[in-house]
Amino acid sequence: MKFIKNHLMFILPLMAILLGIEFYLVFDRTTDSYEKGLKEGYTMLVVAKKPVTLQKLRQLNPHIATLEAIKREQIVSEVAQGVSKQSKKEILAALPYFYNVGLDSYLGTAALEKIKKDLEKDSTIKRVETFGSSYSSAYRLFAFIKFLLKVFIGFMGVVSLFLIIKQMEIWKYAHRERMQVMEIFGAPLMLRAGVLFKVAIFDAFIATLLTSAVFLYVKFVWAAQSGIDLMMQKQDDLFKMTDMAILLGVALLLVIVAVYTVVFSNKGVQE
Amino acid sequence: MSNVISAKNLTLAYDNGRKEIIKNASFNIKKGDFVFITGPSGSGKSTLLKSLYGQLKPKEGNLVVGGRDLANISPRQLQELRTHMGIIFQDYKLINEWTVAKNVVLPLMIAGYSLDVQETQAHRLLKHVKLSEHADKYPLELSGGEQQRVGVARALAKNPVVILADEPTGNLDDYSSNVIWDLMENACQQLETTVLVVTHKIPTIFSLPYRHFIIESKGVYEVH
Ligand SMILES: Nc1ncnc2c1ncn2[C@@H]1O[C@H](COP(=O)(O)OP(=O)(O)OP(=O)(O)O)[C@@H](O)[C@H]1O
Ligand SMILES: [Mg+2]
Repeated sequence: MKFIKNHLMFILPLMAILLGIEFYLVFDRTTDSYEKGLKEGYTMLVVAKKPVTLQKLRQLNPHIATLEAIKREQIVSEVAQGVSKQSKKEILAALPYFYNVGLDSYLGTAALEKIKKDLEKDSTIKRVETFGSSYSSAYRLFAFIKFLLKVFIGFMGVVSLFLIIKQMEIWKYAHRERMQVMEIFGAPLMLRAGVLFKVAIFDAFIATLLTSAVFLYVKFVWAAQSGIDLMMQKQDDLFKMTDMAILLGVALLLVIVAVYTVVFSNKGVQE
Repeated sequence: MSNVISAKNLTLAYDNGRKEIIKNASFNIKKGDFVFITGPSGSGKSTLLKSLYGQLKPKEGNLVVGGRDLANISPRQLQELRTHMGIIFQDYKLINEWTVAKNVVLPLMIAGYSLDVQETQAHRLLKHVKLSEHADKYPLELSGGEQQRVGVARALAKNPVVILADEPTGNLDDYSSNVIWDLMENACQQLETTVLVVTHKIPTIFSLPYRHFIIESKGVYEVH
């Protein structure tokens, strides 16, 4: 019982760190594509008196990447249902030209305003609608959640690291006499701390396996049934097999740092 | 220059130098010397040995062991130096979760000998201290005297250059004591091992020439 408890005290905080890391990786991957979607889906509406070309708009502002005309006939037929053909023609002649304009990258509200001004300077352009506020508030909320998550994971990581080192100290205490005797007979650090390294590395493997199991479950069982489009479509991004290597690497690094910290904190020859 | 141990105005103290145990001691010990150290309880015999294996740094003065100045020795050098020492503790300091056989070959394990060598040597060493039948037991299953002999066997395992022994026969009857003294005499005679032994009773039957230090009132004096 004590054996299991001792290992759990070590494995659980280690798992907390690994879960945090994996969660962050997954979040980053899924949200990357969501962000991309936000960017790609974004367009400005440009209303012009005469037809314009992409080149022309690019000269006005280099951020403009795509230009798509909205069919005028379609607008007229929707607006002017049941109107005579002649009237329709007149409306069509009076109707300005509408375009959806896409940008090359995500830009803040100020930059959007500048594009609007640049375009409106040109006399052929009547009006530019940026939809700036709704776009940037969605994006900002997103960035904020991401930031909170990072802070939370970072905090959890620090707390867990402390718990790991504490548990390491308990182990060191349990093995203290043996380590001291070995030291007096000139055993090098690696030999003295051998037991600690062994348990720590063993636990690092266990924690990695358990964390991977949790994520494989999330990937194959939970995500598939979640009904969240983003998760179902991007299922392959949820847990990559290479993540196991990343997690194992981090786990080993952490436990080795923990062992060294504890072994070297045993300082001073004086009694 | 053939001094294995050389102390000059050596002062040893505990509690950050506030509690002086030995003051201004000077002595030289040559290769192959056999030295008995006696003195009242609490006079600082164990403390002196502790300083010799680098567990207590000199407060003042010089202490050179095996060519190393122990006041300024690096952890690496100390580690190396200790592999040439065979230390026997007053309280044995065996590793209780290891078998007797494994305890005995600790110095060989540290030196990186193969398990095969360790096993044959464990057998040989335990025979010397008359503990062959206890090889697979654990230290706490042995009597005090038996544990002490395990400690002696461990100290002799790698033919050390220096043996530092603290009351190695403290818990032994005359017969077992003589076994220990014989082992130490042999090491000293055949391998020119330098031996320092703290004891309250210098053996009556002892064939080698030896030196005798007394620790008293913080001083280390040689009896001629
Ligand atoms: N770690 C320590 N911290 C402070 N004082 C100590 C420490 N170890 C020993 N002492 C003190 O140093 C003095 C000398 O102790 P030491 O163990 O060297 O005596 P000793 O000569 O070996 O005695 P004994 O014959 O009883 O073994 C004693 O007064 C003891 O209380
Ligand atoms: Mg003593």
